[in-house]
Amino acid sequence: MNCNHDLDNKNYSRRDFLTKTSLGLGALSLGSLISPVDAYGNSNFLNLLESEKKRLPHFIPKAKRVIYLFQSGAPSQLDLFDYKPKLNEMFGQEVPESIIGDQRLTGMSSGQNTFPMAGSLFNFKQYGGSGAWMSELMPYTSKIVDELCFIKSMHTDAINHDPAMTMIQTGSELPGRPSIGSWLSYGLGTDNKNLPEFVVLITKGKSGQPIYSRLWGNGFLPSKHQGVQFRSGKDAVLYLDNPPGVNSSIRQEQLSSLQKLQEINHADIGDPEILTKISNYEMAYRMQTSVPEVMNISDEPDYIFDLYGEDSKNPGTFAANCLLARKLAEKDVKFIQLYHRGWDQHGNLPRDIRKQTKETDQATAALIQDLKQRGLLEDTLVIWGGEFGRTNYSQGMLKLDNYGRDHHPRCFTVFMAGAGIKKGVTLGATDEFGYNITERPVHVHDFQATLMHLLGVDHKKLTFKFQGRRYRLTDVHGNVVKEVLS
Amino acid sequence: MISELFDFFGSLHPLVVHLPIGFIILTLLVNIIIKKKNNSVRRLITLGWFFSFISGAIAALFGWFLGDNNYYFESQIDIHKWTGFAFVGLTFFIWILRTINFNAPSSVNRFFNFTILILILITGHYGGEMTHGEGYLINSLPFVKQNKIQTVLLTDKYDSLDSIYIYEDLIYPILKEKCIACHNKNNSYGGLDISTFENLVKGGNNGHGIQKGNPYKSSIFKRVSLSQNQPKFMPPSGIPMSFDQVAVLKWWIDNGAKLRTPLTKLRNDNSIRTLVEVNYNLDLKEKSYIEKLRLDPVSENKLKILSKEKYRWRFLNSEKSLLEIKFIAKKITSDDINLLQTLKGNITWLNLSNCELKDEMLSTLSELPNLTRLRIQKNNLTDRGVPFLKNIKNLRELNIYGTQITDASFNIFSQMKNLEKIFLWNSKVSALGIEKFKTQNSTIEIISGL
Repeated sequence: MNCNHDLDNKNYSRRDFLTKTSLGLGALSLGSLISPVDAYGNSNFLNLLESEKKRLPHFIPKAKRVIYLFQSGAPSQLDLFDYKPKLNEMFGQEVPESIIGDQRLTGMSSGQNTFPMAGSLFNFKQYGGSGAWMSELMPYTSKIVDELCFIKSMHTDAINHDPAMTMIQTGSELPGRPSIGSWLSYGLGTDNKNLPEFVVLITKGKSGQPIYSRLWGNGFLPSKHQGVQFRSGKDAVLYLDNPPGVNSSIRQEQLSSLQKLQEINHADIGDPEILTKISNYEMAYRMQTSVPEVMNISDEPDYIFDLYGEDSKNPGTFAANCLLARKLAEKDVKFIQLYHRGWDQHGNLPRDIRKQTKETDQATAALIQDLKQRGLLEDTLVIWGGEFGRTNYSQGMLKLDNYGRDHHPRCFTVFMAGAGIKKGVTLGATDEFGYNITERPVHVHDFQATLMHLLGVDHKKLTFKFQGRRYRLTDVHGNVVKEVLS
Repeated sequence: MISELFDFFGSLHPLVVHLPIGFIILTLLVNIIIKKKNNSVRRLITLGWFFSFISGAIAALFGWFLGDNNYYFESQIDIHKWTGFAFVGLTFFIWILRTINFNAPSSVNRFFNFTILILILITGHYGGEMTHGEGYLINSLPFVKQNKIQTVLLTDKYDSLDSIYIYEDLIYPILKEKCIACHNKNNSYGGLDISTFENLVKGGNNGHGIQKGNPYKSSIFKRVSLSQNQPKFMPPSGIPMSFDQVAVLKWWIDNGAKLRTPLTKLRNDNSIRTLVEVNYNLDLKEKSYIEKLRLDPVSENKLKILSKEKYRWRFLNSEKSLLEIKFIAKKITSDDINLLQTLKGNITWLNLSNCELKDEMLSTLSELPNLTRLRIQKNNLTDRGVPFLKNIKNLRELNIYGTQITDASFNIFSQMKNLEKIFLWNSKVSALGIEKFKTQNSTIEIISGL
């Protein structure tokens, strides 16, 4: 077929050209005239959330803030919480074919000729009035199991760290969506205008899977909702202090002049990011006094340091960050996210997991107890967990005293405590090999929906329109896990 | 043998019916499009009418076989059957007229053509309704509202769960929809009349309608839970009761089949609870005091009196009637606390911690009727202030750690009948005092530190 229609159309006249193009251009311009979206793709008219946001909270919140103790690298549920005596009984035998079936494994262990089951080397016991199973690795947390709610049937879609962490933090395996804390900051706003709504604390000096700032990024939400990392040591927030020779009053004068200029600019072109910029400058100025105040732990009594453990005096450790998290919670920071790396134990698991639990166990329990005695546990939700679980078979050589475990997205355990959560319960179960879920699966999206629910947000209603469609944390998934709500 | 053959032909009906449709459309089109009709065209049209008639006749015969095997109700078939026969008759008539070269005026011809078109449309549509289900044609249209299968509660009682009764609101509407047409006062098939509760329990000729506590001896339950192939299965036509409806019926009979069992009784039975919650879009969780509270929204104007430097407030519900208020400045004065008076009915959570609150200032708080959570920790409070709290009648949670109060206050606490939790860490109460209080007031939890 001849595609050169223009050559056939020798009679295409000036009149034809004007008729056709004017219709086309007219349609184009009509399209933009009736579209309520402005040049930056924002739309107050179409963005339902403007009206939805005014209705927040959708219901009476149980929790006002969240402390998320994220254990990056995926701690082994089989060595900490999910007691499977069958694995010890069948130590070294192949995982039955009926259990794995044709499920995918990671490239790291799928090539193994043999998948020997590795029972945990650690002793399990039931603790507390609720009789929750815990291994000897977490002696401090074992003492407070009656405060905790375990979900042993968590599962996720991703099989590798980066997508799995992105999934549990943003609801999608692909980077670019806002983190949970950003959604909450966007939806619920601030409770303390001197501090950011979303603060991130990372245990220093740990190696393992990398942690990227996009995990606490705002995605497509206005950038004032991004998480702010508080570093250990002198400069908690970088570039916060005034430059040498500039005192506070000069600084303030400077900022207010700058704000005037920015407001003129905003009135002119209307980019909402300019407003974000203004509020960021204001926040930075207020944080010059509020951050040093909250980072200062010198007036904490000794018995509090004893409670959190020796590490808590050493800034940047998990224990010190837990103590800091409590202080931030007291200051009404909405979402406090801790990261502790180093749980990715493909080999030498028994040796490494001991180290990890020693760093985290006491402070985790201390944080929950400390919040409780201050009454903060009434409206603070504490979450402890990683991005997925670990396999019941050994990656690499299985020895009597050593093994490794590969990634396992099909089941893992998280525990929660605090506001609106039932105390001393365990939800869900895995099979006797600790491989597949047999009872009440809870997907990452369900977990996120539940978290939002506790904060008074209907996860289906907190949306943001971006690139032509409305997004939400759980996207098109997620059901609130009512069984864990008190 | 013969009847099976008939059944086979009957099953060919849905295939064969398409032949007359095609023939008749072709014939009509030729009739319309070819303006100059010579003899061969006329003969072609006559032949078209003949094929329409003969294929229509075969289709009608097969349709008769199909209708005869009792798969469909007479009422469903009626229109389809008679319009079908009319179609066959009319095509035959037209064909005869054309073969004998009867020259009807063109207006009559046009009338015949039009009638035949209408007949085939009606026949085809009602045939389609039988194979594809009622409303198949318009249901998939985007602007037609879909009838969801989810059972809708017939009452507007969502707000007060206590007023929903299992029989009245969940079971009777279903019985009414599915059974009452044949089982009422005037028309009681099998002797059963379900229009009143007494008669439903009594049952019909086959014994008890409902045997309280025993669904398997209750004929109502037995009949609706039979296999649908059984002749005794009820209802005999239409949509049967859904799984959740049968389950609710069973639960209700199991639990005594009382006329007025409130829905909230389901709460403790998890399996049925989830089912009902999903199907009726309900939340059976017991509501807390503030969740049940219905107050008028607070106007923004009223809130303006709280200065931004001293107070921070937030609504706890979307109706904007419940307030959480926190004092954020370093030092509170009597004037500050008196401001709360104007909002007194709406304040549910109040935080006056660590702001040099004095004993006598607490007197204002006793006038907050809906205050459920009070945080006055880390203030220089003593036992003199605590009696003012006695009259906050809906207080659930009192945080008073880091104060100077002693065991003397326990006497006041034990008089606060809605109190659930007291935080007393870092105060002057003694371990012995706490123990004593706990033995006397088992419903109040004391959190006193590690």
